[in-house]
Amino acid sequence: MKGMISMSTTTATTHTVLRAEGFSCPSCVAKIEKRVGQLDGVERVTVHFASARIEVDHAPSVPVADLVAAVAKAGYAAAPVTF
Amino acid sequence: MAGHLSGHLSSPRARRWGVPAASGLLIAVALLAGRLSTASLPGDVAMVSAAVVAGTPVLTKAVHALLARVVGIDLLVAVASIGAVAIGEYWEAAAVTFLFAVGHALEAATLTRTRSALAALVAVAPDVAVVLRDGVQVDVPAGQVRTGEVVLVKNGAKVPVDGVVVGGTGALDEASITGESIPVEKSSGDRVFAGTVSRGGFLQVRATGVGSDTTLARIIHRVEEAQDAKARTQVFMDRFSAWYTPAIMALALVAGVASGDVVLGLTLLVIGCPGALVISIPVSIVAGIGRAAKDGILIKGGEFLETSARISAVAIDKTGTLTRGRPRLTDVVVLDPALDRAEVLTWAARGEAGSEHPLARTILEAATAEGLSTPGLPEHTEPIPGKGIVATTGAHRVLVGNPALLEHFAIADVELAGRTAEELAEDGRTPMIVAVDDRVVGVVAVADEIRPDAATMVAELHAAGVRTVVMLTGDTRRVAEAVGAATGVDEVRAGLLPEDKLEAILELQRAGHTVAMVGDGVNDAPALATADIGVAMGAAGSAVAVETADIALMGDNLLRLPEAISLARRTVANMRQNITIAVVTVAFLLLGVLLGGVTMAIGMLVHEASVLVVIGNAMRLLRARRQRAAAQVAPAPAVGRTVPQSVGA
Repeated sequence: MKGMISMSTTTATTHTVLRAEGFSCPSCVAKIEKRVGQLDGVERVTVHFASARIEVDHAPSVPVADLVAAVAKAGYAAAPVTF
Repeated sequence: MAGHLSGHLSSPRARRWGVPAASGLLIAVALLAGRLSTASLPGDVAMVSAAVVAGTPVLTKAVHALLARVVGIDLLVAVASIGAVAIGEYWEAAAVTFLFAVGHALEAATLTRTRSALAALVAVAPDVAVVLRDGVQVDVPAGQVRTGEVVLVKNGAKVPVDGVVVGGTGALDEASITGESIPVEKSSGDRVFAGTVSRGGFLQVRATGVGSDTTLARIIHRVEEAQDAKARTQVFMDRFSAWYTPAIMALALVAGVASGDVVLGLTLLVIGCPGALVISIPVSIVAGIGRAAKDGILIKGGEFLETSARISAVAIDKTGTLTRGRPRLTDVVVLDPALDRAEVLTWAARGEAGSEHPLARTILEAATAEGLSTPGLPEHTEPIPGKGIVATTGAHRVLVGNPALLEHFAIADVELAGRTAEELAEDGRTPMIVAVDDRVVGVVAVADEIRPDAATMVAELHAAGVRTVVMLTGDTRRVAEAVGAATGVDEVRAGLLPEDKLEAILELQRAGHTVAMVGDGVNDAPALATADIGVAMGAAGSAVAVETADIALMGDNLLRLPEAISLARRTVANMRQNITIAVVTVAFLLLGVLLGGVTMAIGMLVHEASVLVVIGNAMRLLRARRQRAAAQVAPAPAVGRTVPQSVGA
């Protein structure tokens, strides 16, 4: 996980990538974007169907565990990328 | 199926099968109740419950999707089963939702398999490192090693970081990076990669890249990006399915209303599901790109796969690709009777000591190997582009280069030297005339060794459907033709400057070819960029190559190139098969519904079967590798991977 400083504002944004399992249809991943996007402090969520990845830009105050939990609520298991 | 991520992923897997199991059980109860009792109520209740159990998740997904403005398969199935319950077709509703749930669980399980190649790569990521801190061995997470620190790699352990060997010797299995499983000997000065595995020995490695700054991390990242990058066909298909599903709903509505047959309308909804169609392309691409990565072949994405499948001409830079790129000294011709061979070679070495020309190193190494004292740097060194080099050493002016260099410095008596150089060049060698002050003392010649598998590669390129293989080189025509004849390339273009190489690529493109260009040198960059597909060889050592090449061959194995092209062709063919399967299935079902005989349950069964056939077809791409890999293990030792990389060590 790489921490990035966004240039436009003074607030720091953390970029977290999760790898998920069980993606089986391209349209069902839309709800993951919605679920995770609803969390406070999450700025942007991108779900990649083919590689089963979820990219999240969020405030550093949002614990990664909360992101994983939000994905789980949408019905998918995910774990943060460590490498 | 072993989970590659972590243990807590097993619970959704249980959840995946929970729904179809519960709904299946309820259907069994309903059927049993129908047999045992004449009253239909208990059976109907069980049947509707089955539909509710299997249908609720579908409905939830459909609603979520609708909120995200996506009209998907879930909506089709949800509407169809609710409709079926409403008109009293409980069995149809239960069967459709049950089959859909089972199909989904199977899809999820098998789709994970098509991603297995990437999961395997992620799995080789190292987690722990043994670092030497203040002389003490400390275990730290691999990502927390600091660059510059020395890590220890023991037998059987994973290399935790990218780095350079600073002590010890050992053999590493670099399959995770290069796809070549034969262990490579490593000793001081050699580069090693995170995620490779020690097969013996003990290495001390100074870390140069850690965590996300390692070749393995870059490969994983590239493969993921590649799998997500959409092929042109897929962009079309996405646009198609965005319209397709609403169109099916409209068709079902019209058909149902016009015929007054609600069941017909609902059945159309079910069989119109584009399930197989929407995954037909991604599954093939994920499997194809993933498998390629396992073999040390990185393909930038679906679009590049499609282009690679059309490659009809391959342009290859000679040096470092067809040849080893490590020339050896072949001749020392003495032309000054007062000197002997060793003295001529010593003068050549002294002249070249300050040169950055690749051939200079060859001469210096040859002089060292023959035990000659190689002096330090000359006082002054000046390269004369296209001619050679002039150096001042110990009050002598030393010239090393071609006849033009001698003319440049107005040296008389060049005729014999010129003729000698000519003769050497005719044998495919690169001659360099050596002159000290105003006298020619001799000629040294070097030649680059042709790789043992270069001819096989050219033959396999032809077998893979490449019509013409062109060799591009800045070297002289004679040298180039000697290499061309030995390797069987179709065309030789010699004496090219970087811009000429680019022009050669453009010319091939104008002739209607889809051109791949293979190179490893900086001076190939314009040609690599111009070619339809730029291929980088031996990319493991170069972060730029991994990130920018259209196809990056991580290892140094030439035969990966034809393999990459034929894999691209197979993947694209696989994609087309999948689209055909999906379209034909829907067409047949449609016909079946209109002619009668296809019920909702049968429609769903066939539909889910077609989805699984499509996934299974894509998985063939993963399987085929193992057969080929087995066939290729045997001749591999002759392929030159076992030759030590560093000559001087």
